[in-house]
Amino acid sequence: MAVSLSARNITKRYGAVVALDEANLEIRAGEVLALIGANGSGKSTFTRVMNGVVAPDSGQLLLDGRPMRFASPRAATNAGISTVFQELSLVPQMTVAENIWLTREPLRRGLIDRTTEQRRTADLLALFAGTFRSDLAPDVPVQALLPDEKQIVEILKAVSINPRLLILDEATASLDSRQVQRLFELVAHWKEQGKAIVFVSHRMAEIVQIADRYSVLRNGRTVGEGAMADATASDLVALMVEEAAVASVAQRARPSAEQLATRRVSLQVDDLRTAELNGVSLQVHEGELLGIGGLKGQGQRDLLLALFGSLPYSGRVTLDGQAVHCSHPREAMARGLALVPGERGREGLLAIRSILENLQIPSWRDYGFPLQMERARRTAGAVASRLNLIMAGLDQPVSGLSGGNAQKVVIGKWLLRNPRFLLLDDPTRGIDVGAKAEFYRLLAQLCDEGTTIVFYSSDDDELIGLCDRVLVMHDGKISSELAGATLTATNLIAASLGATRQEATP
Amino acid sequence: MRRSRWQDVTYRNPYLFALLLLIIALAVNILLQPNLVASATLNSNMRVFLPLILVAIGQAVVMIGGGIDISVGAIVSVVNALLATQIGINGDPGTATIMMGAALFVGMGAGAFNGLFVAYLRLQPIITTFASSFLFAGLALFILPNPGGGVPSLFTAFYRETILLGLPLALYVIALTLAAWALVRQTRYGRYLYAVGGKPDAAYETGVPVRAVQFSSYVVSGLMAALGGIAITLLTGSGNAQVGDPLTLSSITAAVIGGTPLSGGAGGIAGPIMGAVILGLVRNIISFANVETWWQTFVNAAIIVLALAMPGIINLVRRRNV
Repeated sequence: MAVSLSARNITKRYGAVVALDEANLEIRAGEVLALIGANGSGKSTFTRVMNGVVAPDSGQLLLDGRPMRFASPRAATNAGISTVFQELSLVPQMTVAENIWLTREPLRRGLIDRTTEQRRTADLLALFAGTFRSDLAPDVPVQALLPDEKQIVEILKAVSINPRLLILDEATASLDSRQVQRLFELVAHWKEQGKAIVFVSHRMAEIVQIADRYSVLRNGRTVGEGAMADATASDLVALMVEEAAVASVAQRARPSAEQLATRRVSLQVDDLRTAELNGVSLQVHEGELLGIGGLKGQGQRDLLLALFGSLPYSGRVTLDGQAVHCSHPREAMARGLALVPGERGREGLLAIRSILENLQIPSWRDYGFPLQMERARRTAGAVASRLNLIMAGLDQPVSGLSGGNAQKVVIGKWLLRNPRFLLLDDPTRGIDVGAKAEFYRLLAQLCDEGTTIVFYSSDDDELIGLCDRVLVMHDGKISSELAGATLTATNLIAASLGATRQEATP
Repeated sequence: MRRSRWQDVTYRNPYLFALLLLIIALAVNILLQPNLVASATLNSNMRVFLPLILVAIGQAVVMIGGGIDISVGAIVSVVNALLATQIGINGDPGTATIMMGAALFVGMGAGAFNGLFVAYLRLQPIITTFASSFLFAGLALFILPNPGGGVPSLFTAFYRETILLGLPLALYVIALTLAAWALVRQTRYGRYLYAVGGKPDAAYETGVPVRAVQFSSYVVSGLMAALGGIAITLLTGSGNAQVGDPLTLSSITAAVIGGTPLSGGAGGIAGPIMGAVILGLVRNIISFANVETWWQTFVNAAIIVLALAMPGIINLVRRRNV
């Protein structure tokens, strides 16, 4: 059978971060290849290299044995490579038909032939007939559709060019089981037609069901490939996990479950719901470091934002036994909550202002009128030295700091308020190892002082190395709780993927 | 996110709100001025509304494409100054026709200037066209420092008095623009315009020539402003380098009332045409109601603020009800 696409030794760096490190992949016509890996293993970057969105730093793409270089997504499309994007490429205000055929509208005498367009769209929709509401029709605007229906339209848009290679990047994430089954029937049919399909998914059960072969990425490297028939789900999880790496995260002395149980519950959440959260309930004890894990975008961010009052929600939040409902960050701050946001550049810092100003922003009102600058400088200086902030002086603009130091400023500005509850949204992303280690020590120290911490991280090793307990989120719900002996890398990844594997490893 | 029947209806007919307002404004106006629909009165109103209608159509095209054009009023002024000085009250019909044709190119050139900065140099549309509006306004004053000049009465009479089959000239012009728009909606260009205004990233990923489309929308806006300038020159028969100033904000208001969101990607031109008529009728009503003239400024401003703030107010109310 002819090789359809082969990627050889693909490397892609973003600054100092290596997203892909000599990754390889080979896919033939008429087969489904599952591309799998943990968070941040390089899957998305790899698919973007294949569809021309990202240009690799080195390595080669061979299409039917001929070297190819895609200058744009358009070039890849013309070569017969089509992608179902994870981030939707649909224009919300336009109709289903307009979106599917955008730039490829059927014309008659120079004008759009709407009759043909509607018919072709209806034909495509018929592929998924019976799995969506009757509202999904060719002339309905995409913004009126439900997420699963948008995803179906996105799939149909990719299929409408009749591609030779179809990349399904998390295409099943928002589909229900009936729709997934239909998609799989279609995939089987496309295979028979000789199409090649790259299937990227976090759902292990789906991978086992649909894939012929697998290719596993870990830290940007291809660490295993083979026929699906020869592997079990746990084999694949084992390939994705690098147990040795856990040791690199500073371990802290953790209280036992019994010790924790004796402390009082300082934060309790019952049936919290937002657009992304489908009923989250949890309890955190005073001085506990609670980790939130799971795949990206399972509602972790919404959970933190809702607790901090910057997202409307329904449900009950109890702080120290007192029911609260914060509808503005100001209220949350008054109750001793602090949120270190994930996008530090956008949400956490005023880049051109000084370190002093950035540190004191949430606290200026405590310095009277006119502002007691001496005292402000003193407290800011104290927190800077506690955080071991490397700087030329408090008046240096934040924009000149390294990632790790800038993040210290974000944390520092909340430490100045002595928060009793610290919410962390993936705080160590993109900061160097040294700063991370300091950060871990700081968290341990804060816990010892009685601060209650809710810590979302996309880095599984951190969760395992630091947290007392980890709640794994999936589809806006807490899918499992790991603590003590069950808190292992294997269990964490398995729980994130929805595979059931809870036994303790010795 | 459930879709209500109302959302569905308003999506298909973005001008529904404008239509409702138009009916109310018409009813009130007829109450005050019963002979409004007589063909002579209709003509005397429509010929006054036409310049704004034309400019508002261009504004709507830019806004659908996701931009905004603050310089349309100044382009109108440039065209008016140009025609008033170059043709003159005693100018011959040949020169006049050529100059009007040239005015269209001046408008498109001004639009191309805006488009170059916004689409290709990626500057903010509001800032760019605000800045260029001063450039164009300066040019208008350079051409015609003091009000004066004019066009032959032959032309003004044609514009003011033409009534065909009982309907004023302005209605035929409007029908022509609507027909042209219906044609545009059936071309790929029409689809691209909405896609670029709706979600430029998605349009780019799909292979739409995003920048060229943005650029072209400003050229269209410049062309429509030039047509508006010709109309206003024929209406007044004289030159004034500041004649276009009030049209900028009015054109944006007309487009917004007519269901063109400032965020782009939606709307049409039927709504903005109605919006422009509504603004004209409101002005009528105020003058007929025998209130002091400052009321006119006040009500105009109130309509503008309300029309612009409406989407934000609706959002605020929605958020409350979550």
